[in-house]
Amino acid sequence: MVGLEVSIVTVRDIFQDEAGRHSRFSEDYRSKSAVIILDRQDLGSLGAKEGDLIAVENDIGSVVVAAVASHDDAHPGLAIMYNSPWSNQLVPEAVSQSSIPGFKSIRATVQPAEGSAAVTDISAIFSRIKG
Amino acid sequence: MATCTGCSLLCEDIEAELSGGKLSKVKNLCRKGHGHFQSAFSERTVPMIDGKEVDLDRAIARAAEILRSAKSPLLFGWSNSTLEAQNVGISLAEKLDATIDDTSSFCQGILMERILSGSIPTCTLDDVRNYADVSIFWGADPSSSHPRHLSRFSYYPRGDKRQKSYEEERTCMVVDVRMSATATLCKDYLFRVPLGGDAEFMEAILSVLEGKIPRLGDKKKMIELGGLLKKTEWGAIFPGLGMVYSLQDNMEVFERLIARLNEITTFKVVPMVGHFNMRGFNELLREKTGYINRVSFKGGVAVHGPEQSVMAAAKTCDAALVVGSDPLSSLPFGTARALARLPLIAIDPRRSLTTDAAEVVIPAAISGLEAGGTAVRMDGVKIKFEPIIKADLPTDEQILSRIMEAI
Repeated sequence: MVGLEVSIVTVRDIFQDEAGRHSRFSEDYRSKSAVIILDRQDLGSLGAKEGDLIAVENDIGSVVVAAVASHDDAHPGLAIMYNSPWSNQLVPEAVSQSSIPGFKSIRATVQPAEGSAAVTDISAIFSRIKG
Repeated sequence: MATCTGCSLLCEDIEAELSGGKLSKVKNLCRKGHGHFQSAFSERTVPMIDGKEVDLDRAIARAAEILRSAKSPLLFGWSNSTLEAQNVGISLAEKLDATIDDTSSFCQGILMERILSGSIPTCTLDDVRNYADVSIFWGADPSSSHPRHLSRFSYYPRGDKRQKSYEEERTCMVVDVRMSATATLCKDYLFRVPLGGDAEFMEAILSVLEGKIPRLGDKKKMIELGGLLKKTEWGAIFPGLGMVYSLQDNMEVFERLIARLNEITTFKVVPMVGHFNMRGFNELLREKTGYINRVSFKGGVAVHGPEQSVMAAAKTCDAALVVGSDPLSSLPFGTARALARLPLIAIDPRRSLTTDAAEVVIPAAISGLEAGGTAVRMDGVKIKFEPIIKADLPTDEQILSRIMEAI
């Protein structure tokens, strides 16, 4: 399967925020954070459906997250992730003179994850950061 | 009544009982605030050095030792601390010749600078409640980020001059790349911008206001928006990170738009600050140095610039103190990794990726729940609060004072 190039915008979500306040290490926080909302047509072109695991990758990092089908009007090429350690594995550092990271303009490739893949765990993210 | 420090609305009308590890008899808390109050009962930190539990005195002594021996330490966080703690933090940075920065550095800082310098007109949220007939959420989704914004101030309340409120007198608009939760409340007034297209969209509004045909997007919709803006009696724009990140170095076009709107009618701007006391830190540091964030005191002189941002300083400093923040979760991988490789001290009530990576962890009381103090609401109104839980934990202010004494 050839991957699809998308621009990812990170946003806030009240349910995910609440889960993170209880615990950054919980299954609840992971299930509400490790998702990517994709345009329905994009999801179809990947041969994937809601709930399928998607590998999201760019030259900064990669994560495996669950697909969510967008309920919005068509927005091909535009994907949404919730601001979290999962999205931050893909965020480019300074993108302007203001030195603000590119939280809302992440270029990445999405494709269905391999059969044995699982959603990236917070411990894997922590290990990667610790190096 | 309690004050919720779950976001920068600092709601002061909260009724809640917290005892025996339980939250009960809750009134007026939003979902986000509920999570914040509940957080008092989960994932609390204990004093630690290198992953081993120690007593508080040892943790503070080790933190002082790390900072004392560092040549260029970074002090970061601050937006979840009271003004009293921030004040000690800035003094500590001065004493250490350190770099100090807060979350505004990658959040609303570039807009807040303009608000505090007076180059963009602002107002209080109470003014919004009393006078605003138009509220525009631009790249902001208060239903997720500031859940009671619409009910307390910007859309639903009956203000002094807006007794007929949302039924007849108020219009809520959203400018966004997507149909956000807030946009679903005012679908007819959702104006979509392409990703990164906010500056062009503003130029298109300026054209429409001059009576020209816009070159961008749905011309009919743009003309409708121009008409709505001209008819506004007293408008408020609430920029979120969607707008700030899209404009970045191009904030001048927003200043021009606001100036033009104010030639026609009244339009004020209140940034949608996230953390409960980010604005407090910005005001305090500005009062002391002339800069709202990104300051180095090396050589006894306050120097400001991108090199002093947490993103840059994480790669050049040799130790870091993080107060009430989790940069390993909230910053890009490259910055998080740079911070994780440093001798790291975390003062935090709760466990996070940052506390897990820290050499020294110092538990603190949760401001607003277990510690009193003062904070500045997103619109500049100072709010004083008392603790509602009795906890045998030191406040950020007390911990920072003890570190300073030990250096």
